[in-house]
Amino acid sequence: MAADTAVTSSPEETLASLVKEAEALKQKLEEERQKLNDVTLSCVAERLEPITISNLKVRRILKGHQAKVLCCDWSPDKRHIVSSSQDGKLIVWDAFTTSKELTISMPSTWVMACAYAPSGNMLAAGGLDNKVTVFPLGGTAGEEDGATRKRTVATHTSYMSCCLFPNTDRQMLTGSGDGTCALWDIESGQLLQSFQGHSADVMSLDLAPSEMGDTFVSGGCDRGVLVWDMRSGHAVQAFDTHLSDVNSVRFHPAGDAVASGSDDSTCRLFDLRADREIARYSKESIIFGANAVEWSVSGRLLFAGYGDYTACAWDALRATRLALLPGHEHRLSALRLAPDGTALATASWDATLRIWA
Amino acid sequence: MNTLLERHQGCSGGYALLLEYVVCLAINIGLSDTAVMDMMVSTLQQQRSVTEQLRREAAIKRIPVSVAVADIVRFISEHEQEDCLLVGFTSQKVNPFREKSSCTVL
Repeated sequence: MAADTAVTSSPEETLASLVKEAEALKQKLEEERQKLNDVTLSCVAERLEPITISNLKVRRILKGHQAKVLCCDWSPDKRHIVSSSQDGKLIVWDAFTTSKELTISMPSTWVMACAYAPSGNMLAAGGLDNKVTVFPLGGTAGEEDGATRKRTVATHTSYMSCCLFPNTDRQMLTGSGDGTCALWDIESGQLLQSFQGHSADVMSLDLAPSEMGDTFVSGGCDRGVLVWDMRSGHAVQAFDTHLSDVNSVRFHPAGDAVASGSDDSTCRLFDLRADREIARYSKESIIFGANAVEWSVSGRLLFAGYGDYTACAWDALRATRLALLPGHEHRLSALRLAPDGTALATASWDATLRIWA
Repeated sequence: MNTLLERHQGCSGGYALLLEYVVCLAINIGLSDTAVMDMMVSTLQQQRSVTEQLRREAAIKRIPVSVAVADIVRFISEHEQEDCLLVGFTSQKVNPFREKSSCTVL
């Protein structure tokens, strides 16, 4: 097939032939997707029993940041949370007791991303410094201890908006305002693979839940959601139905679908195998952007955090709103489910984090 | 230079016309032949990567939405009972974030 030999370009390829082929391919793509669009999710879901959630409320409030909380992540021990803030601080919380266990000062303000390593023994964070800095935890515990053994791993040419450990303590995946995603070796700090495809800032990343872990998804200010093959470095799928910046992307726990939250005030569900959008979560009363999305353990509930200071829970199948989660006093910036699914952490520009259970 | 331009005479579609216009403009403002050539080569490369990307996207296998949705629904029903935020906790004692009783931990 032509696709296999694409890399070795023939001398006969002219700009005209390439443009013509691109247009034909676009049309073919749309036709193929439409052909397989035999039912809608909402139609299937109507036959399912409606669900209700009643007991979800704020159980803890984590106070201590001096400015907007921009990101958070749970430790694999299901008890600790790391958060990063505009104030330039990284804080490790004991979510059970709400106490601060560790505070690390970062080299710049606007620490937009932070992550726990799968082992729980390392933290990564960065933002306006265009870098990811990794902090080993444990050993001799104490304030600022990690800061003395920190290491710079990744450097972008613009701000670092999101980062994650791809199922290993040895590598780091980052997304940046320079429009690229990149895979780094933590030990050597070397760039292993660069992922180029977004035409504007990358805002969010998520790794496919499969053990293989060689697929990830990204969302960006070009309104696009891209699915990547980590080994080849190529984008294998693109979803471009959002009308504005995509702020957040999250794999459905089943692994074959991705939820996204956008400044167009909708959340959407894209199925990778059907290669199309299969659900849209929106309401007339929701007019602010969706800044963060997160799934419950079963993938029945889709949580979304908005610019209107609220979060909410959607029935992912029936695309109806089940619960409004008010309480924050500024826009929501990040949502994270505890690893065992018992609680949802929300981070906000009101400088607090809240734990819902 | 002329041969390169001639090859572009065959360009069709608005995008190609626009590119041609840009190239002509570059010549008119006095850019050297090599600079113009570089521009054309990089435009060609850019379009090639766009088309290659579409080839990859077009080559993937797809399944009907009904099958994809059925699989999602099955996954959810298999895991619904483990979903504490959906079905609640068997007892509030199991909830690690339950409100503590009146005595506080020192």
